[in-house]
Amino acid sequence: MTPVTGIDFERITLRDALDLAVLIEEEARDRYEEFADQLAAHDTPEVADFFSRMARIEERHRTELLERRRTLFGSAPSAVDRRALFDVEAPGYEAARAFMGVRQALETVLAAEVKAHTFFSEALPRVKDPELKVLFQELREEEVHHQALVKAELARCSEKPDDSEAYADDPNAQ
Amino acid sequence: MNAFLAPNDYKSPLKPIWCPGCGDYGVLQALYRALSAVGRPPHEIAFISGIGCSSRIPGYTTAYGFNTLHGRALPIAQGVKLANPDLLVIVAGGDGDGFSIGGGHVPHVIRRNVDLTYLVMDNQVYGLTKGQLSPTSPRGLKTVTSPMGSLEQPINPLLTVLAYGAGFVAQATPADMPGMTALIEEAIRYPGFSFVNIQSPCITFGEEDQQLKAHKARMKPLASLGHDPANQLAALDLARAYGTELYTGVFYRNPSPPPTYDALVRQRQVELQKGEPRSRSRVLDGYLKA
Repeated sequence: MTPVTGIDFERITLRDALDLAVLIEEEARDRYEEFADQLAAHDTPEVADFFSRMARIEERHRTELLERRRTLFGSAPSAVDRRALFDVEAPGYEAARAFMGVRQALETVLAAEVKAHTFFSEALPRVKDPELKVLFQELREEEVHHQALVKAELARCSEKPDDSEAYADDPNAQ
Repeated sequence: MNAFLAPNDYKSPLKPIWCPGCGDYGVLQALYRALSAVGRPPHEIAFISGIGCSSRIPGYTTAYGFNTLHGRALPIAQGVKLANPDLLVIVAGGDGDGFSIGGGHVPHVIRRNVDLTYLVMDNQVYGLTKGQLSPTSPRGLKTVTSPMGSLEQPINPLLTVLAYGAGFVAQATPADMPGMTALIEEAIRYPGFSFVNIQSPCITFGEEDQQLKAHKARMKPLASLGHDPANQLAALDLARAYGTELYTGVFYRNPSPPPTYDALVRQRQVELQKGEPRSRSRVLDGYLKA
């Protein structure tokens, strides 16, 4: 199942590609905000804060791409709809867990960055326009950079792997 | 013509409190997107639900909402639709609410063909009350009320609604969000009773092989099997695989939808208005004749 539907990468314009990139960041921002709300509602403030920080980072990426789009194309209407994409850089809903730890949260983010990298890697061979190829390469490389940042945080994380499961309560039966 | 409404225009400020990882989060997002695609403003929509985790949905939208009694969403939704046929009425609930406590209402809403959309978030367990056996729990499932494994044959929601003659029957999973969004939109647009069984896993009390990760590996779009949604017999045959295969897509769409109950009621009202107005005493005479 492809995370983007109805977009022909052989024919996509630079404007549409930038709009798509903006929406990819927007979707990731929204998902991290949702995760932050979910974890805050389940008494896991540390991880909720972490996901809020991720949402702010994705928002920064979105704004940067949007500025670029505006500089190049002004306020010309977008032909790309949010419904065309799903879970490109956003982690899947199944990734969130009650009482998950920071390590698990970092692993969730890393998996999402890898997924985004795969998306751009798979789209690149289909892109014909040289200007567009440069953009997609740039976006793909950014995902590599993000992965490195997350891996570095994982290395610094003092929480042991699977620690979070150890103190999570089992569901109580009635 | 309404101005463009974005998915977030249907999102209420109330934050969902489902367990993280619950399938209902995906359903809610798909619903926002489907409503945006349909384009009806929130004040023209009414969400009716019963009781259960998924029945919290009305509170998470900006549309009108009524969180009713356990199992009683369908009768209330029918009343809402008949009172105001211009409303887009969507019913949301779980498998227990729909096929156990409220199971008796299902055949009647279908035979009347009231123009509403029924979204069942089928997780095969009573999650809100902490994991009891539900009507769609598979045989052998160990729960707090079946510690040695269920001895009961589960209800097959797809086969049930098809057998009663539902005009639109589909199945979706949050593991395929674009597919689920498109199905909900199609169900809403169908002129008559439409039913979408959404395999929405319970992350806390559900089985491992029923989680979204497993769905991603197991799901089979009906379109890829070459299924013709106009073929009711083929739909019935495919629906028998509920519980063993995870088919997604439209099982059945009546190519010639019959008139809806609300349209027939409206027609009757118009006909009656054409005749001589009945005085109150004449109405009472009808009761005294016997």
